Amino acid sequence: MEVPAGFLIVSLLLSCFVASSYGVYFSSLNATLSVTATPTQGQVLKAGEDQITVTWGFNQTYPVGTDSSYKTIKVKLCYAPISQKDRKWRKTVDLLKKDKTCPHKIVARPYAASNNSFTWTVERDIPSATYFVRAFAFNAQDEQVAYGQTTNAHKSTNLFEVQAITGRHTSLDIASICFSAFSVVSLAGFFYMEKRKGKASK
Amino acid sequence: MEEVVQNPDNNDRKFALPVDSEHKATEFRLLSVSTPHMRAFHLSWISFFSCFFSTFAAPPLIPIIRDNLNLTATDIGNAGIASVSGAVFARVAMGTACDLFGPRLASSGLILLTAPAVFLSAIANSPAAFLMVRFFTGFSLATFVSTQFWMSSMFSPTVVGTANGLSAGWGNLGGGVTQLVMPLVYSLIHNNIGSTEFTAWRIAFFFPALFQALSAYAVFFWGQDMPDGNYNTLEKSGEKHKDSFSQVLYHAVTNYRGWILAVAYGYCFGIELTVDNIIAQYFFDRFDVDLNTAGIIAASFGLVNMFSRPIGGLFSDFAAKRYGMRGRLWMLWVVQMGGGLLCLLLGKIGSLGLSVAVMVLFSVFVQAAEGLTFGVVPFVSRRSLGVISGMTGGGGNVGAVLTQVIFFRGSRYSTEEGISLMGVMIMCCSVVIMLIYFPQWGGFFYGPKKGVTEEDYYLSEWSAAEKEQGFHKMSLKFSENSRRQRGRKGAAVPVQSDPPTIV
Repeated sequence: MEVPAGFLIVSLLLSCFVASSYGVYFSSLNATLSVTATPTQGQVLKAGEDQITVTWGFNQTYPVGTDSSYKTIKVKLCYAPISQKDRKWRKTVDLLKKDKTCPHKIVARPYAASNNSFTWTVERDIPSATYFVRAFAFNAQDEQVAYGQTTNAHKSTNLFEVQAITGRHTSLDIASICFSAFSVVSLAGFFYMEKRKGKASK
Repeated sequence: MEEVVQNPDNNDRKFALPVDSEHKATEFRLLSVSTPHMRAFHLSWISFFSCFFSTFAAPPLIPIIRDNLNLTATDIGNAGIASVSGAVFARVAMGTACDLFGPRLASSGLILLTAPAVFLSAIANSPAAFLMVRFFTGFSLATFVSTQFWMSSMFSPTVVGTANGLSAGWGNLGGGVTQLVMPLVYSLIHNNIGSTEFTAWRIAFFFPALFQALSAYAVFFWGQDMPDGNYNTLEKSGEKHKDSFSQVLYHAVTNYRGWILAVAYGYCFGIELTVDNIIAQYFFDRFDVDLNTAGIIAASFGLVNMFSRPIGGLFSDFAAKRYGMRGRLWMLWVVQMGGGLLCLLLGKIGSLGLSVAVMVLFSVFVQAAEGLTFGVVPFVSRRSLGVISGMTGGGGNVGAVLTQVIFFRGSRYSTEEGISLMGVMIMCCSVVIMLIYFPQWGGFFYGPKKGVTEEDYYLSEWSAAEKEQGFHKMSLKFSENSRRQRGRKGAAVPVQSDPPTIV
């Protein structure tokens, strides 16, 4: 027990030094990208079946040259506030390194000012929740420098839902029920055997 | 498998281990599987391990399950409380079942009855269903009682602390091992077989379910209740009297020591269960480690059980050699207080490395206290051993429910405040240990009453009419064998031999 505990302590101490509180804050970014997605307000998409088409581009109302540092775009599926309620693991944190709002990646592309679009089939591991789409622009140091999203600043408009797969299959259901029934029946069998043995030893 | 049937009055050595007059083993040989003693040990710890494994199989997979079933933090917390609350009454019921039907049937029966809950976890489809399966799976933790009862039936008082500590500690290990194994089984199914996440965790649950069912079969076919045979054989031959349920219950409930030990156990084992449910989240939230690291830390809390609980049992037996029952009580109090102090400290520490170190030390004390508690339990009653074990065990779960409801629910206290306050509560509740007094052996502050013998204590559980019919024979033998609980000083005092009360 000494060896694993020691190893654990050392590796955890080292990871302490790595963790730090500097990084990019969401509040420091401007919404210079305009992002639209095909789902309409309140639409329900089925995971594994339905598709989302995302289009994004530089918002021309911002001064020319603002996007000179943008190198890549990452488009993500993000949780709306209602799906974050009472779920600390989806919490919105200003320090983007620790932010858990947008865990699902849709696509990553090199930056182009216009004519960007991508059609994505909602993957089968996306949980049932309410979502919006957000795109981040990254510079050459892989830091976020700008963003754009399909909803407003309060994340209250233009939200859509995904209905997840259940993960259940008929074969699983049957196996589950059969094994359960077998356990109970075999128990009854055991009691019967015990009674018989008890009588026999008289 | 043939059971070893022996006439209890026959003393020629047919056993692999040395035995006392009740044919209980006086030595404990860990690496042996000889029938019936050591085999009973291995069957009981493995089957109890499988129950712990199943009960805590969900926590390491929560990140997947909570997305599949759309669980909120409240749902997860409630399911955690449900998983330990079922066993509160199940443990008492199990105690009674052991007294009446024997540990072999009682434990294999319960394990097979709760296996469906584990199988059906695979088809849970909502927060309510998740709560239900965790609730019913948790009933299986009542096998703890049958484990302790079985060990107390197979091993002599000089080694019963060790046997109880090892079987319970290695069983509790299941709660730690599951945090490591379930994620492995899951990734095997998800990555190697290619099932999607939401299907893979469901298939993964068949592993603990099958393990549990198979261990029940092993107990039924290969175990036996007592060194001389199973209950039904012994009862039919007249060697064991089939006791009356109401009498057994009465003598357990009216023995105040059982209630005190229930409180003591609530503040060591109950704490262990609480920590099993909250510790991964604590490290994840407070120290920002990732989920896998939090899982490893959580696992190490439970894995320490491998030696810490057995050490408690050993310490109990060791203290008894010199100071008898009083030594067992003193040792229990000291270790329980130590655990409370470390718990208080744990909540106050802000650095990760030190926190993990204190947590591991804290787990050693808590689990040793569990072993020490069950070093005392076998002596509280002979007639109602099962119900007393059940009450103490049930008290453990009550402690878990209480602490989770008071300190770890909602946002009144932060988790670290809750942990420190829990430490204070442990220390306050350990005061009750000082109130236990055995007239034949003494208690925390006072020595034994002069002239009171073990027979006086154990035979007081039987009425004159029952004694006339010879129902109390095993209590008589137990009294003889528990003479060593007087410690070194007391053993020198000659025992006045009472005139035989039966013909």
